[in-house]
Amino acid sequence: MKLNVNGREHEIDVEPEMPLLWALRDALDIRGPKFGCGIAQCGACTVFIDGAPVRSCSVTVGEVSGAVTTIEGLAADGRLHPVQQAWIDEQVAQCGYCQAGQIMTAVALLQAVPEPTDEDIDNAMSGNLCRCGTYPRIRAAIKRAASATAGA
Amino acid sequence: MTDRRRTFVGLAGLGLAVALISVGPGHAQDPGLDAWQGIYAVFSHPRCANCHVEDARPRWSGAHYGKTRVHGMNVQRGADGLGNPGLRCTTCHQEENAAQLHGPPGAPAWHLAPAEMAWWQKSSKEICEQVKDPARNGNRTLEEIAVHVRDDDLVGWGWAPGKGREPAPGSAEETYRLLQQWSAAGAPCPAE
Repeated sequence: MKLNVNGREHEIDVEPEMPLLWALRDALDIRGPKFGCGIAQCGACTVFIDGAPVRSCSVTVGEVSGAVTTIEGLAADGRLHPVQQAWIDEQVAQCGYCQAGQIMTAVALLQAVPEPTDEDIDNAMSGNLCRCGTYPRIRAAIKRAASATAGA
Repeated sequence: MTDRRRTFVGLAGLGLAVALISVGPGHAQDPGLDAWQGIYAVFSHPRCANCHVEDARPRWSGAHYGKTRVHGMNVQRGADGLGNPGLRCTTCHQEENAAQLHGPPGAPAWHLAPAEMAWWQKSSKEICEQVKDPARNGNRTLEEIAVHVRDDDLVGWGWAPGKGREPAPGSAEETYRLLQQWSAAGAPCPAE
C-alpha cells in the first residue's frame, strides 16, 4: 500500500483497516502523532490529509487518498514553522504529550484565520485536550505565531 | 333533567368525543396526512433531527448519553455548515463509521443541515411547513426532496448508523414513497 507522508512516497505492508496513526507510528516510525484516546476525542493524533486536520486514530489507512503531513513535516528549509517557534518562545509544553496535535490544529486554524480572536482559537482548539492545562500558553503562542506571520 | 335524559346526553357527548379523536392526527382519514405522519416520524427522529438544529450545535443522544446533550468539544456549525476552522466535521467524521467502540460515526460529507431547515424540537406542523417552503428547503421541489432523501449518502446513513446506534424508522425507499404519496395528496400539513 502506498502512502505519501511529509512529501515522501512510502510503500507499507499493512491491512487497509489499520488506523492511519498505527501505520505512521508502527510501520513508518513517525512518532510525532500520539495515541491519546483512540476514538477522536482528544486530538493528540492530529495530522493533515491534503492540508486538512484529521484525527489519525479514526481514519483507516485504506481511506487515505491524499498526502499526509505530520508535525515532522511542518519545518521547511531548516526553519521551524512559525507555530512551532511560538510554542518554544511561549514555553507552552508541560508534559508535552498533546502538543503535536495542538500545533497541527493551530497551524490549520491560522491557515484559515490568519489573525484569530480568542473565540476563533477556542472554537478551533476545543477538540484538543491538554491534561496539564496549558491552554493560556497555547492561546498566547497562537497569537504570537499570528503576529510573526503577519510581520513576515 | 331526568336521569335517563342525563344519561342520553352523556352518551351522545362521549360519541362525539370518540368521533373527534378518530379523525385526529393518528387516524387521519386524509391519505396525505397519513403519509406525512410517517415522514414526520423519520424527520423528528434524533438520528435525523440531531443535525437539523436551529442553533450552531449538533446534538448527541442515545442510550449511553442519558438526556440529549450538545455535541462535545465545543463543536459548532461554522460559517459553511462544515464546522469551524481547525475543527471541521471531517476532522473526526470520515466517510465510514470508525471501527472502534465509541469512535466517531462517518458518512460522506458529514455536516449540519442549514439552520433554516431546523427540525430539532419542532412540531409536526412546523417541520411540514418548512419542508414545503422553497425559501427554507434549499429551493427544492417536493420531488427533489424525495429524491434527496432516497439518494443522499449522509441522509441514508440515518437508516444504517452502525452498531449501537438506533436507526431512523423505516428506510430511505419507504420515506421516498411516503414523500411521493404526500405530495400527490396535495402535501397537507397537520394542524399542530
